[in-house]
Amino acid sequence: MRREPAADGPRKGLVLRAAAPESSRARASGARASPYTIGKLATLTKVTADTLRYYEREKLVRPLAKSPSGYRLYDEDAVHRVQFVRHAQECGFTLAEIRGLLTLRGRDSACCNDVKRIAIERKLELEARIRNMKSMSAALDRLIGACDREQLPVDACPILLGLDRMAARK
Amino acid sequence: MSVTVDLIHAPACERCADSREVLRRVAQTVIGSALEWRDLNVIEHLDYAVSLGVLTLPAVAINGRLVFSSLPTPDQLQRALEDPAILDPSHGR
Repeated sequence: MRREPAADGPRKGLVLRAAAPESSRARASGARASPYTIGKLATLTKVTADTLRYYEREKLVRPLAKSPSGYRLYDEDAVHRVQFVRHAQECGFTLAEIRGLLTLRGRDSACCNDVKRIAIERKLELEARIRNMKSMSAALDRLIGACDREQLPVDACPILLGLDRMAARK
Repeated sequence: MSVTVDLIHAPACERCADSREVLRRVAQTVIGSALEWRDLNVIEHLDYAVSLGVLTLPAVAINGRLVFSSLPTPDQLQRALEDPAILDPSHGR
């Protein structure tokens, strides 16, 4: 398998081909002329090159172009997109949701309320999971509390018996 | 018996504002004076929304049960409000 250059700065003298859709926005925003290799982008954004390839498969961050040798080349916009993806992941957004947020960001008709609704829905899901986990934690507290004699044989273990009873109730 | 319909929405939801009055009128026609219609901003009623199992917005709950996880059409809401199993979950048990 051909390996792309791992690090190093922008590669000079490369001819760009097959510009990706982001390229027009990048040019409009005054992106630098010399593109980043995947290694350099990985260093700048503190993710691995494998992660960048994964983001590409997930249609989150695409290279601006490829060099004649087939190396991925990125612009400054890709740095911002990767950082956006990472921060959104830290907030609990799924990659599908992040793709939606990036689409909204580039859509003129979208407004802040669209993004806010997605953020609220993510919070609702997190709150539901917290609620479920608290319930599971309380159930474990009850089982642990039921076990006051550690030296019982395992077939008399109050925790195992408690789990049996819970299973029978379902 | 009173019937409570909760329209749970994101703040400043324009889609909800457009549909709210139509849906409220449908509910009023079906239920009459026993209707209690509530427009709930999810931010102000987050715990309630979570307890209902709301994951997407807007959502509609009837008598404290999540019935629609997106905005229903007037016909869908009318059918739900005429369904005894939705109005009274203990019905038919």
